[in-house]
Amino acid sequence: MAGSAPRASFWRRFAARRSTLLGLAFILLLVAVAAAAPIVVSVVGAPGPDRPDYAALSSFGTPTGPSLAGGHIFGVDPLGRDVFSRVIYGARASLEVALLATALALLIGVLLGAAAGYFGGVLDTVISRLTDLFLAFPAFLLAIGLASACELGKGCVGGLVHPGTGAVVFVIVLVTWTYVARLVRGQVLALRELEFIEAARAIGCSHLRIIVRELLPNLAAPVAVYATYAIPQNILLEAALSYLGLGVQPPTPSWGQMLAEATPIFNSAWWYMAFPGAALLLTVLAFNLLGEGVQAALARPVAQRVRIA
Amino acid sequence: MSAHVRVPAAALLTRGCALALISALLVAGCGTSTGKIAGRSGGTVTVLEVNGGVDSLDPGFWYYQTDYTDLAQTTQRWLYGWRARSLTPVPDLATAMPALSDGGRTLTIHIRSGIHYSPPLAARTVSSADIKYAIERCFLASVGNGYAFDYYGEIEGAPHEPVSHLVNIPGIRAPNATTLVIHTSVPVGVLDDADALALPCTAPVPQSYAERFDRGAQSTYGEHQLFTGPYMIAGAGSGTVPHSSYAPGRLLALERNRSWRRESDPIRSAYFNAIIFRGGYSKTVASREVLEGTSLMSGDFTAPPPAILAEALSSRRSQLYITPAQATRYISLNTRVKPLDNVDVRRAIGAVIDRSALLRLIGGPTLGAIATHFLAPEMPGFNVAGGYRGPGYDFLSHPEGDLALAQHYMRLAGYRRGRYEGPPLSAVAADEAPQKNVAEAIQSQLAQIGINLELHEVPHTTMLTKYCTVPKAHIAICPNLSWGKDFFDSQSMIAPIFDGNLIQEQANTDTSLADNPAYNAQIEAAKEVIGERARAQAWGRLDRELTAEAYVIPWLWENQVSFASANVKGVPWAFNGGAWDLTASSLK
Repeated sequence: MAGSAPRASFWRRFAARRSTLLGLAFILLLVAVAAAAPIVVSVVGAPGPDRPDYAALSSFGTPTGPSLAGGHIFGVDPLGRDVFSRVIYGARASLEVALLATALALLIGVLLGAAAGYFGGVLDTVISRLTDLFLAFPAFLLAIGLASACELGKGCVGGLVHPGTGAVVFVIVLVTWTYVARLVRGQVLALRELEFIEAARAIGCSHLRIIVRELLPNLAAPVAVYATYAIPQNILLEAALSYLGLGVQPPTPSWGQMLAEATPIFNSAWWYMAFPGAALLLTVLAFNLLGEGVQAALARPVAQRVRIA
Repeated sequence: MSAHVRVPAAALLTRGCALALISALLVAGCGTSTGKIAGRSGGTVTVLEVNGGVDSLDPGFWYYQTDYTDLAQTTQRWLYGWRARSLTPVPDLATAMPALSDGGRTLTIHIRSGIHYSPPLAARTVSSADIKYAIERCFLASVGNGYAFDYYGEIEGAPHEPVSHLVNIPGIRAPNATTLVIHTSVPVGVLDDADALALPCTAPVPQSYAERFDRGAQSTYGEHQLFTGPYMIAGAGSGTVPHSSYAPGRLLALERNRSWRRESDPIRSAYFNAIIFRGGYSKTVASREVLEGTSLMSGDFTAPPPAILAEALSSRRSQLYITPAQATRYISLNTRVKPLDNVDVRRAIGAVIDRSALLRLIGGPTLGAIATHFLAPEMPGFNVAGGYRGPGYDFLSHPEGDLALAQHYMRLAGYRRGRYEGPPLSAVAADEAPQKNVAEAIQSQLAQIGINLELHEVPHTTMLTKYCTVPKAHIAICPNLSWGKDFFDSQSMIAPIFDGNLIQEQANTDTSLADNPAYNAQIEAAKEVIGERARAQAWGRLDRELTAEAYVIPWLWENQVSFASANVKGVPWAFNGGAWDLTASSLK
């Protein structure tokens, strides 16, 4: 019962914000739709994402717009493929990359940040300088460099990375773990001086136990808040990399890739930019609203903080 | 690939129609008594480019459509040349067509006197020895020429592979300053009719000036060249092309060559005072700017994007110049990569491809006609190979594709289920629409017979220089290549693509690595055939047989859609697949 009070308080504060619930609902819907993409597409009566309908192109090869009668409610792309299907399947790519990249960045960042903050000394210096080094690396230059270093069939970085989802995740993780590491190190530096850590040391707990059992639970809140902000950033990063042609490879649909293809034909095919653009916008917005809610719910009320002070 | 990014088009003219059109234009007063096209002198035109512009400044290297448009016709005179609308070469530096003797194995050519080079050698006149050196240097590895071995390889004493040091070719002699004698070991049809002498390798290069630049691994003559044409790279009179006039892919500025005399040039009028090439544009932006702006012309791309083309056809028709490009767009299948070494797999690919869809994706019938064999309309031998209907092979008889037939061929190839079950095949395509759309459509169509492509989309230049023309890159399928004629002789379409003897490690044009000794021998025999009609028969028959092998799957006979601002009178250059002849175009 002692533990349930803060949890209940968290949920109460979380649920009090309508915008947060709206964001959460959208994300849940998006995840459900992405997971059940084939079912959703067939229920709507749309063709698969890679199936071209050449008859839906004009005689000049230009795509036709949204039409209930034509069977393409979001119109078609320049290959005659259904934009609705591709937006739905595109959610998979975006979520897959964003969630995987965020999870890996968190894993690496928390481990290195906690180690640096807890042990200090040479290890802290090495990890901190490494973090500075990676922080100074422009993500896009790195991605472009990787893409040009990639050889067809052989991949890049000695075959470690191949163009496509793996490469995007690799690049995102490479440039974002640093933020987590820096955040966690700062938190651990403060926590390790507190009495409960002293007490754990005094009763002979191992370093590993202290980190896992004492420090990590106390890092959950800031890391969770960071994650909710990192996910939409990573979705945007994936879109940007795919926009540059460095991301998900054809024919796999991705929102960024669709936006890139739509840019030069926006005048004649607005729908091809509008729908994936709207999907990207709403998804990022939803994650941001969720993040804001999580942050607000985890924050201690001002009155409580004043009392403590 | 030579002119070879040419674009597709709509109403294809037959050769007869083209001639009729030319006659009509002449009667209507479009031409002049010299055969030149009338225009107004003055002004500066800017050409907007998308694909990187010229490949090289060196006349010995020029082989591609953009090289010809931007530099070859504008800045150099050749032994023989091409008027804007002519389908046969005419004397340029030469005074007459070659005089043949010794059963067609000896050509005697007289050249004009008093043709001056640009500064810094303005006092020097062109001599026949300069043309001999120009041809000889085309065999240098440091120059990187793409056609010398094919067209000049039978000249007595000519090297058979790129050489690191200049080789004196005894079969080319310059007995005096105005006479050039070429002796070949066998009769060479494309030399006898001067087609192959109407190429930039015959643009004169004085040895005493150029040989210091030709030493080393990479010739630098291009940056120090002398000009004989009506224009020169601005500021190059100092002996070096300044950076302010040439930035690769971004800028190329031409100014008038003061050494050139209009009255001594039977081909070029050169109405513009200056020509500027600006690169780095997207096709959409370049197309809109050209159509809506002033004094602008389309550059190194074959047509506006489909949406802009559709709009322009209805509202700016007079600014579009649609001409057959004598070019064929095709899917290249690497015969050294399994399972493409099996002719039945290749035929299955031919059968499953929906060429109607590809035509639509690339912009529709304005951009060309569905191909049924390799030789393009207007080329000699086109009808021998089957004309528009084609040779009648079943795997190319269904423009919409025939999955059942494709599966039948896959079964013949040993795939019982009618589907390939091996790993994905590598494919490389250009990353700009509509080419990338076509590649992705081919990817989806091939998946129907189990052939999955690992498609890599890269800039057009990278596709050619790093992948599709480099055998060791082992790319299985290049879905979107194009080959245009070098001149109106079908050898220039067939031999570079199918002659196994021409396979090379870089800049290889036989991208399917077709290397069948029987066909190679037939190609060699066809090269020796003399006479227009006989040559048409020989190359047309070869086209028919090679199409059956499905080394490549031709899918489009292209049109070129060149376009210009409303105040520009653009003149397409028939020899160069309908790209601009900037020496005949003018401001209105």
